[in-house]
Amino acid sequence: MNGRRLGGLAVGAWGVLLTAQPLNRLAAQHVSIGPQIAFGDYREVSSDLHYTGGGIGAQATVEWKKFSADVVLTKVKYKPVTGAAATTEFDASEVDVRLRYYIAGPVSGEVGFINRKADPEFEAQSVGAVTAGARMAYLLGPGVRMALHGGMMFGAKYSGGGTTAGFGALQLGLGLTVDALKGRMRLTGDYGFQRFSRETDDGSGALPAPIQQSLGRIGLAIAF
Amino acid sequence: MPRSTWLLLAVSLICPALGAQTVQNATLRRAQQAFDNLDYRQALTLGQASLRERLTGFERARAYELVGFTYSGMDSILKAVDAFKQVVLIEPERELDPNRTSPKALSAFQVALTQILVIRQLRVDSVEFIGGQGAVGIRYTVTQPSRVVTRVTGGTLGSVRIDSTVANGQVNIRWPARMPNGDPVPAGNYNVVVDATIGQNSFSASQPIRITQGAVDTLAHLTSLPGYTYLPETEIPPKSWRPLGLAFVYTGVALAGTSALSNGKLGSASMKEGGAIGGGIVLAGFIMTLKKPAPQAARGNILYNSLLREQISRRNVEIAQENTRRRQQVALAVVPLPRTGGGR
Repeated sequence: MNGRRLGGLAVGAWGVLLTAQPLNRLAAQHVSIGPQIAFGDYREVSSDLHYTGGGIGAQATVEWKKFSADVVLTKVKYKPVTGAAATTEFDASEVDVRLRYYIAGPVSGEVGFINRKADPEFEAQSVGAVTAGARMAYLLGPGVRMALHGGMMFGAKYSGGGTTAGFGALQLGLGLTVDALKGRMRLTGDYGFQRFSRETDDGSGALPAPIQQSLGRIGLAIAF
Repeated sequence: MPRSTWLLLAVSLICPALGAQTVQNATLRRAQQAFDNLDYRQALTLGQASLRERLTGFERARAYELVGFTYSGMDSILKAVDAFKQVVLIEPERELDPNRTSPKALSAFQVALTQILVIRQLRVDSVEFIGGQGAVGIRYTVTQPSRVVTRVTGGTLGSVRIDSTVANGQVNIRWPARMPNGDPVPAGNYNVVVDATIGQNSFSASQPIRITQGAVDTLAHLTSLPGYTYLPETEIPPKSWRPLGLAFVYTGVALAGTSALSNGKLGSASMKEGGAIGGGIVLAGFIMTLKKPAPQAARGNILYNSLLREQISRRNVEIAQENTRRRQQVALAVVPLPRTGGGR
């Protein structure tokens, strides 16, 4: 799948970018990295394919001058909710990469990509897309920041085929970071909502097959 | 007041001077005794006799002075003037106290001063200044109108004329203590020599001086400007409900957005995840509302401090330039030394 290949390459590139920095440059930038607990809600095609689940994740953040970047990896085991038509649970492994540039005031622009892989492959749609949007951040108090971000997802590719209209894939997020231990430790909480207005066509005309996920993540991060 | 009393007073003036150097000559002492006993004839005879004997310069001056006072007491003013001329020639700096000397003797002394050419009261100021930026004050009194040339001699300087004028009475000159090429005079001992000439008569007086050279004091760099202090660059804003309000707004936007963007075909959107994170944000907003607000940059103070730093920096650059200049300068100190003898 093209989206998967793109995701793997991008993660690798980001990894190289983040680790290839000389130590003296790392000292001039802010880096945080840490594990997370994830919990989510996943729906596909209709309300009958409704899953909820929990899992683990990891988040790394780099800040340098007006630039910052987030790399989020999550793996959630989704189980069908009681009463849903689905019977088989699946694992959703997601990579979310965002590159951000501070514009003015509380506003930053961000671009990136997401890649979510379902395992077993045919229990849910694997998806990959390029993201673009904006982020508003606000300092609630000393060491406490919240952020709201939203944007579009372009060029979505699905493992089961299908397309999405130009503005049919949207995402929304909310985040909180609380510095502790004089900024050495960070408590993080993130919420992300994705909606893909996917349509499939088996020859009888376009049929809506939307995908929607709400994902919450709570974690700790070491900052240096 | 009787004449003799004046004379006694005048003689008593001499006594402090005698304290430094005493009269050894017996004839002169007897003359002095006779004068004290108001026996002018005896005093005159013995005084003139002592002048024919071997006397020190001091004794000779005292002998002439005694003769001068005696002639004044005997109303022989012209002879008194002649005697006082001799006193002044031997001791040009000799002064009579007008409050304690008889008017006749004082008048005769003043007349004697105008009839001979001497340089009196040659004084060189003790002074310290930066070479090229100050001058040494030199003063003297010339008793008759004459051509007066002032020179500085000694050391590597040789003899340098610093002033030439026709003068009578007190003269003030200022010497910048520079060589002909403009350099400061090297350290050493020098003589300020004043030569007065009128016709065949001439007189010369000198004052030894010592010139020392030193480094010019440099200025200390500034760390602050007097009267100006740095202001805090952050300030704590007043407590407000803004953090809680914004937490509600951000959370509300996220949850409302989730609800609005949710596809109706998939059922009602799950608010559990957004609610959990949003709840945390609202809680954090509430706590931050109760807490002391974070310090914020005070732009006015930052600008003020920046201007202050710039001023101090600019002043320090000027001080550095001034110090560089001062290190190339020389501080001259001029001190007059005790004189070994009178003029001639």
